[in-house]
Amino acid sequence: MVKIDLAKVSVREANEKLRELGEKGESAEIINPDARHHLGVGLTAPINVKIKGSAGYFCAGLTDQAHFDVEANVGWGVGDNMYTGSVVVRGNAGAIPGVAIRGAEIVIHGNMGSRAGQVMKEGTLCCLGNANFMAGYMMYGGRIIILGDSGERLGEDMSAGEIYVAGDLISMGSDAKQVDLEQSDDESVREFLDRYKIPFKGNLKKVMNAGTKLRYAKSEEQVRSIPFFTFSGTSDYWNSKIQEDIHIKSQIGRYRVRGYGGARPLPHFNDISFRKDITHAGNDPDVVSKVEMTTEVGGKYGANPLKLSMPVMIAPMSYGALSRSTKQAIAMASAMSNIAENTGEGGMSDAQRDAADQLIFQMLGGRLGWNIHDMQRADGLEIYISQGAKPGFGGQLMAKKVTKELATIRGIPEGIDLRSPSRHPDILGADDLVIKVEELREATGYRVPVSVKLGAGRVRDDIKIAYKDGFDFVELDGMQGSTGAGGAEVAEYVGIPTIAAISEALEALEEIDASGKLEIILMGGMRDGIDVVKSLALGAHAAAVGTSVLIAGGCIACMQCHVGQCVTGIATQDPEHEKRYKPEVEAKNIHRYLEGVRWQIASLTHALGHKSVHDLSRDDLVALTPEAAEMTKLPYAPEFRDRDATVRAKVS
Amino acid sequence: MCGIAGIMYKHKGAGKETGETLINMLDCIQHRGPDSTGFALYGDQHYGKLKLRFYVGYEQDNSAIDQIKQAFEKHGASLVEEEHIGENYRAVVNFTGDLQKFAYAMENSSPKATVVSIGESLDIIKDVGGAHDVDGRYDVANFTGTHAIGHVRLATESDVKPEAAHPFWATGFSDVAIVHNGQITNYWKMRRRLERRGFEFRTSNDSELVAVYLAEKMAKGEPLKEALKNAIDDLDGTFSFLVSTKDEIGYAKDHLAAKPMIMFENDDLIAIASEEVSLNRLFPGEALDTHEPPPGSYATWSKST
Repeated sequence: MVKIDLAKVSVREANEKLRELGEKGESAEIINPDARHHLGVGLTAPINVKIKGSAGYFCAGLTDQAHFDVEANVGWGVGDNMYTGSVVVRGNAGAIPGVAIRGAEIVIHGNMGSRAGQVMKEGTLCCLGNANFMAGYMMYGGRIIILGDSGERLGEDMSAGEIYVAGDLISMGSDAKQVDLEQSDDESVREFLDRYKIPFKGNLKKVMNAGTKLRYAKSEEQVRSIPFFTFSGTSDYWNSKIQEDIHIKSQIGRYRVRGYGGARPLPHFNDISFRKDITHAGNDPDVVSKVEMTTEVGGKYGANPLKLSMPVMIAPMSYGALSRSTKQAIAMASAMSNIAENTGEGGMSDAQRDAADQLIFQMLGGRLGWNIHDMQRADGLEIYISQGAKPGFGGQLMAKKVTKELATIRGIPEGIDLRSPSRHPDILGADDLVIKVEELREATGYRVPVSVKLGAGRVRDDIKIAYKDGFDFVELDGMQGSTGAGGAEVAEYVGIPTIAAISEALEALEEIDASGKLEIILMGGMRDGIDVVKSLALGAHAAAVGTSVLIAGGCIACMQCHVGQCVTGIATQDPEHEKRYKPEVEAKNIHRYLEGVRWQIASLTHALGHKSVHDLSRDDLVALTPEAAEMTKLPYAPEFRDRDATVRAKVS
Repeated sequence: MCGIAGIMYKHKGAGKETGETLINMLDCIQHRGPDSTGFALYGDQHYGKLKLRFYVGYEQDNSAIDQIKQAFEKHGASLVEEEHIGENYRAVVNFTGDLQKFAYAMENSSPKATVVSIGESLDIIKDVGGAHDVDGRYDVANFTGTHAIGHVRLATESDVKPEAAHPFWATGFSDVAIVHNGQITNYWKMRRRLERRGFEFRTSNDSELVAVYLAEKMAKGEPLKEALKNAIDDLDGTFSFLVSTKDEIGYAKDHLAAKPMIMFENDDLIAIASEEVSLNRLFPGEALDTHEPPPGSYATWSKST
């Protein structure tokens, strides 16, 4: 038993020591913990850790195989996302004990705080005292045992799993119900209690999902899709699209869901042009070698930065919304063009990891597919707060796409209409977020950048928080960005246009004297290198492309991504449909598209008189419409309206 | 977007180092709010008189202070003691008139000055920077008394400046201070209601609203405990806050309990903070028997007299 004294060493040093001891198979005892956060975070070896006192937030978080024994209390999120292994807490636990566990056993001798076992997938959370409100909130599987009283709204919006209560059932949550206790259930619980030497003679009540909210009551009737250009047409009144919407809503009695982002006419990059006459752009065949384009992202606090061969990366899109083959092709193309790929929600596949040179791993509120092992093989970690097409809302994945394989990776029941949580269990404000960021850094030894993905909503406040909470970079997504499935009205009317979002973000940084001190990767409807150059000139550090990459790989923009029967094999989990998508072929198509983007960036930068993309500035731009001028504060120059079309013709 | 902490020593004539204690507690949770730090400290040296603190900046010329002194004279307050410390002007006066009127007059005494706190017992000290930075500028560590509450702030919706730091004094009411972690969503509705009754607000910060809301209830004779109970019903949003008066401290926590709070009590003291790590700083190495206040709860403690 090796003693680690937290009165003498930092938590970071203690965790490094624990990792070393774990490798050697030695046990450890932590003295003077004094409720410090992140104790034991990131351990992936079978080690026994005794904590002599109280631990703070995320004790034993993001671990696998380790066993912890805490003498007194723990703060929020004990055992966060733990795979196998166990934690025994002799005192009380704060809010969200056992959040997102995927197999661990957590035993709390005292009382536990609210939302116990939120979004847990597998394993057992056991509390000898009373639970606070909403135990089992949004749980997807596993078991909660409460020997005291249940607290209010037990099992609120649980999708699966079992909850056993020995004390009073104070009140039931939405979509939870009491069911008969089977003898095998009872035996299994008692076997668990015996194993942890917990004396218990009482009777148990069992609570499970009531099954009223797992699927939408009615699906949308399949109709011939309206092409994007008609869809986004100029008249708001009673056009064919409006009629179709009303017709379908009259059948399903709820909002419609669709793919893609804001489609109505909105100020966008077309409403911005270049100040200088660059009609000579595109004349130089060797322009790519003449412009400095390499871009490092996320190294400001000492993490290994992403190294991009041009100021472009792939926007986060999930395996789930997209087929495995599509994610694989995009990963391959990203490697061929030497830029970074992003997992999006729903986990990392081996094929994707192997194919991508640089891969960002995204964490969402449901913690679907999130785990310590994939974190440790990622090149960047990203906390998703929201996305441009639907800021403030969670993801939707219709039952057709929630196949057995996908459900296993995500740790959820098969065949439900998955509505991912819109909020993180453990991020309720900027103050909690800073502790979460630190947890991710601890788990990965401070090696990789930690970024945040923000949908453009309250950009001004959000960017300030991102800066103050120490993120390595931000991915900022405007409302022209797409989604695999979102409420139709939300996509059209909730977000903020991409050019407005970047402008507001940069103003916010200026207000807190942080101009140039936070790298912003802009996304949301980037169609080509021209949009990328305009983004950089507006002040973005780089841009991310999503939808355009899908289109390069064969997407026909029918906007039916949510249905799951994508004819091109992109937005589907149906093996028959997916067969149509050939990753090797499409990877090359996507790669050629990306190289086209590279050439456009180089041509325009060169024509504007710069040697490096990092020299682009607002001085290079003018606004062509009053709306774009107001949003970007660029000079209004309607006389340049023809110029943009000329440039586009020259470099397209 | 913050961290809060409070301490009360129960025994008579405690004269404890509340300044030092609170600096330590806030230092532990500085990660929750690195922008500014503040203290509301209660001492008993000036009972029967009124202590005032103004924010006047570092300016060398004394015009603001001169104007404040003229306002003292005009409103019948006689100066007993004064000091220019950090960016504050601190004065002790003899005053017996209508405090609310006097307080509003002091607010308008100089365009260059704002009132930080007024009370027989209360001193509010707040500025940008960490707990130790603020201590370095204002000598908080040597402050002794019976109780104190404090705050670390991460500014999101408003600026980083001393006036926007916590604690907030209940503008117009002697000795009432608040530290708050959270957000009041029916701020404007409640503020307009109070403004219609003649109350003035110095900031657009929702924490000032909580302070004035509670102080008004207490001025009408409601005990602090009752005022906190009403606050949970009347205020929308998610919050954990601590409030202090000359003789009491109390807390309230909303029904959603999204803002953390944890407490420890023994025969000598009651300590409350956003995180247990602050409580453990007072008892290094010990496994404390702490208690997390349930959602929608409130409580108060009085110092022994």
